[in-house]
Amino acid sequence: MTDYGHDLCFGAFITPRAQPPHHAVELSLVAEQVGLDLVTFQDHPYQPAFLDTWTLLSYVASRTRSIRLAGNVLNLPLRQPAVLARAVASLDRLSGGRIELGIGAGAFWDAIEAMGGRRLSAGQAVVALEEAITIIRELWDTSQRGGVRVNGTYYQVSGAKRGPAPAHNVEIWIGAYKPRMLQLTGRLGDGWLPSLSYLPGGTAALEEMNRIIDEAAVAAGRSPSAVRRMLNINGQFSSVSQSFLVGPPEKWAEDLADVTLRYGISTFILAADDPYSLELFAREVAPATREIVAAERAKA
Amino acid sequence: MHYGHPLEFGTFITPRSDSPESVVALARRSEELGYDLVTFQDHPYQPAHLDTWTLLSWVAGQTERIRIAANVHNIQLRDPTVLARSAASLDLLSGGRLSLGLGAGAYQMAVAAMGGRGLRAGQAVEALEEAIDIIRGILDTADSAPLSFHGTYYRVSRVQRGPVPAHDIPIWIGARQPRMLRLIGRKADGWLPSLPFLQPGDLTAGNAIIDEAAREAGRDPREIRRLVNIAGRFAPERGGFLEGPSVQWVEELLPLVVEHGVGTFILMSDDERTIEQFAREVAPALREAAERELAGAFLARPIRRASVRARRREGIDYDAIPESLDGAVIEPGDPSYARMRSTYFRGGSPGLVIQPGTTAEVATAVAFARAHRHVPLSIRSGGHGIRGRSTNDGGIVINLSRLRAIEVLDRATRRVRIEPGARWMDVAAALSPYGWALTSGDYGGVGVGGLATAGGIGFLGRKHGLTIDHLRAVEMVLADGAVVRASDDENPDLFWAVRGAGAGFGIVTSFEFEVPEVSNVGWAQLLFDASDIAGFLERWGAIVEASPRELTSFLITSPRRGQPTIAFVLAMVASDNPETIVRCLQPLVNIAPLYDQSAIIAPYATVMANAQSGDYYGRGEPITRSGLIEHITPEFAADAERLLRSGLIYFFQIRAVGGAVSDVPPDATAYANRSANFSVLALGAHRARLDAAWDQIQYHFNGLYLAFETDPRPERLAEAFPPPTLERLRRLKARYDPENLFRDSFDLNPEDASRPAPVETGS
Ligand SMILES: Cc1cc2nc3c(=O)[nH]c(=O)nc-3n(C[C@H](O)[C@H](O)[C@H](O)COP(=O)(O)OP(=O)(O)OC[C@H]3O[C@@H](n4cnc5c(N)ncnc54)[C@H](O)[C@@H]3O)c2cc1C
Repeated sequence: MTDYGHDLCFGAFITPRAQPPHHAVELSLVAEQVGLDLVTFQDHPYQPAFLDTWTLLSYVASRTRSIRLAGNVLNLPLRQPAVLARAVASLDRLSGGRIELGIGAGAFWDAIEAMGGRRLSAGQAVVALEEAITIIRELWDTSQRGGVRVNGTYYQVSGAKRGPAPAHNVEIWIGAYKPRMLQLTGRLGDGWLPSLSYLPGGTAALEEMNRIIDEAAVAAGRSPSAVRRMLNINGQFSSVSQSFLVGPPEKWAEDLADVTLRYGISTFILAADDPYSLELFAREVAPATREIVAAERAKA
Repeated sequence: MHYGHPLEFGTFITPRSDSPESVVALARRSEELGYDLVTFQDHPYQPAHLDTWTLLSWVAGQTERIRIAANVHNIQLRDPTVLARSAASLDLLSGGRLSLGLGAGAYQMAVAAMGGRGLRAGQAVEALEEAIDIIRGILDTADSAPLSFHGTYYRVSRVQRGPVPAHDIPIWIGARQPRMLRLIGRKADGWLPSLPFLQPGDLTAGNAIIDEAAREAGRDPREIRRLVNIAGRFAPERGGFLEGPSVQWVEELLPLVVEHGVGTFILMSDDERTIEQFAREVAPALREAAERELAGAFLARPIRRASVRARRREGIDYDAIPESLDGAVIEPGDPSYARMRSTYFRGGSPGLVIQPGTTAEVATAVAFARAHRHVPLSIRSGGHGIRGRSTNDGGIVINLSRLRAIEVLDRATRRVRIEPGARWMDVAAALSPYGWALTSGDYGGVGVGGLATAGGIGFLGRKHGLTIDHLRAVEMVLADGAVVRASDDENPDLFWAVRGAGAGFGIVTSFEFEVPEVSNVGWAQLLFDASDIAGFLERWGAIVEASPRELTSFLITSPRRGQPTIAFVLAMVASDNPETIVRCLQPLVNIAPLYDQSAIIAPYATVMANAQSGDYYGRGEPITRSGLIEHITPEFAADAERLLRSGLIYFFQIRAVGGAVSDVPPDATAYANRSANFSVLALGAHRARLDAAWDQIQYHFNGLYLAFETDPRPERLAEAFPPPTLERLRRLKARYDPENLFRDSFDLNPEDASRPAPVETGS
């Protein structure tokens, strides 16, 4: 049992479909209206059936007022880190501090390479991500003086000016599954953002992954609770309880509360492209989950 | 020197990162003041600025009309492939308001400090040219082949193009050097220098270089808009260039228009008063003065790029497209062509797609089509035509998908008005809250226009008749461009013809229906072992005929050689009473061993919500035969079994009609084959073989439903329309469409010599 005690947060993972063009925008407005905390979009710049995720995030941020937004997760190999840093800071300033940075080392290397991106091995990609995070955090840090110098193997910045600073302390959430990425997350991440459907063996896999993150965090002199644990989920609402996240909202709440109390997951992001599921998730699952978790935490 | 571009005005606002609100406020103010365009510089190494792409996207969300562009992007820090997809995305989100301003990227050191390449000037021009090729390639979604580009600076290999932008995004380039100017002449849509940086004579010299390079590349120099960034100060007293009262500005800018062909002025200022004064006093006066000086010299519409013109088809006079259709036409070089060319069943390559937004525009489109009778004409509503050829090769398509309104005219009489481009699932969803439903077909993606002019055999048919039986009036555009209403009282002949043969008489732009009250319905999906095909068909037919009218059932089987025959039975019960539903369904369940079943009580709209929204990329030609039949006799069932076992058919469907459909007298509408209890449809892969086999069983049928029939032989027309109906239709055709303009679905006047050969691309 590892509960890191974070407040619960509920979000949406909406497909950034290019047709109809306002599909994701309208669902994001629904997500905000029904009271979700967060709206996120996957980022696959090689996929023309999708809108460009950064453009969509910026546009949706402009059309919403309170909901937070993030890529889930942005594809580093096709996003120049120094430009990305300033883009994130800019959108955070424009939106009044509603942006977080979800980022990944990249997958689908054939597609990345076809787009003119650089092919990296899994190990290289982890190093590249670490360099990029360093550059991004440095560029945001206007409390330091002097230009940013990072002479990495994959990314070099030589005297770039700092700023603009984001409007709030932008969290960096990392999509990670393998040990080296999990260690990086423990060392540097503000959040860990895997997807349920990619977990080998379902939620049980969270335990070992948490352990790797916790150890790396402690080794880096951080508290394990400095890394928020998040999870992209998918399921189905139905009138009868059948299996994990297949059933009525009460069943979902029990399943999610269990994941929180057992594995410390505190942000649940539902992959859904229909208003009805978003509404059930926000109006019924979220409060019921919060209630169970609060009651159990009070007992502990 | 003038290029005919009507004048446009823009602003250029510093994207200050220390005060994002004021930047956005000035962008919105620009829109309020009537500017055409708002632009921002792009210096990604400059922390005093917001990231320009992010800002453009944000501003798009805060404005409605004004166009947006960077002025100009630093291409060295923007990957061209990602930029192109981002551009398409922003163009889609903003409703076609994006232009791409590009520059080779100055400030080599700052670019390098950011981790960019930091190219020398000469290299930067080469890289920009490569970037433009990639951007154009990604945005050229009219080309369906993947894009490969192997340059010195950029490499992409077999990437898919797209997303499809909302419009043909213009590329403007900021430049002064001759190499860049030649590049503009070859590839760009606009030249965007800053006047304060130009020396006297630079505009003349620059234009000359661009024009020459354009001509060398086979382009028309008028394809390239000339834009300039200007800076100045309003003052009561006359002073230096653009330093003085508004009249002085007008006097000084006018020669740029008249002598140098400038079409767009972009005011570099963050001062709201200056922005206001320019909009109120300079822009309108300059427009007026330019109109005076250059009367008649302005182009009615931009000259399309040579590469777009190269894809035009012979026989269509693109320059004669009426101005009122601007924004409503898509030609083969346009990005959205890929989404428009094909239908659900057919691949097509029309030479022009017209997407009218109003009845008047439909009339204009019809007039244009009338002047082009030597090329095929197709009418498209939902694009689901089986018989109807709603696309073609080299001709004109009038695509009605923008006419998609659904409105209740009168609640008391349940009168609703529906436009042809709506889809039946949208109709069902719109009527559902009122507790109403209009019987349509079995698939929610089918369009209103095609089905409601043909008949409409749907799941409420035995209880409520055909879709056309609820039609009370139509508004139509006839071949001569006249807009008429037809109902029992007005043009009753036409109203009679529209209900069953509408596609031969004009374009229906609005349908008025009186729709029935329909509660929730019972809806069953049953999967049977139909190994005993003939017995199965016979039993199903007998039960359906004996069932109360509440029940309407469709049967589908897709025989596969060497596999057990499975039949899918769909049944709707027009009642929300569980007992009635069970009573209607029970006999069906027992006709053969069941593999699977489901039954629900749900709104009609839920059943109809079975289609994806989206575009169609059909290929080839559907090959079908069909027939209407009174009863599923043992003889027919045996013949059908033989046919199904022959392997010639990959999809076979029988739909119940009869009931209320048969209550309507045969002469009341052009859909005359009212006595049948079933409609049969088969899809095959080989025209001749399917025809040969079907002709043998033809004797079972008593007419056919033309919407399902694709056999081109003329006998089919006589089966769809029995003699008195066909005679009357031909008489009316001579009155309403004597030149036989409307024949994409069926030809009532086959002797007409002027008609182009039918397109037969299928096997
Ligand atoms: C998957 C599928 C399921 C179907 N199911 C059924 C069903 O259950 N019941 C049934 O009755 N039919 C059914 N049909 C047939 C359908 O009714 C016809 O194909 C109909 O023409 C489709 O209408 P549309 O507007 O989508 O087609 P389109 O392809 O847009 O048009 C087809 C033809 O209709 C004519 N037309 C279109 N719009 C207008 C207009 N506004 N004014 C005058 N003429 C016009 C033109 O001749 C055009 O070529 C089905 C078809 C498909 C592909």
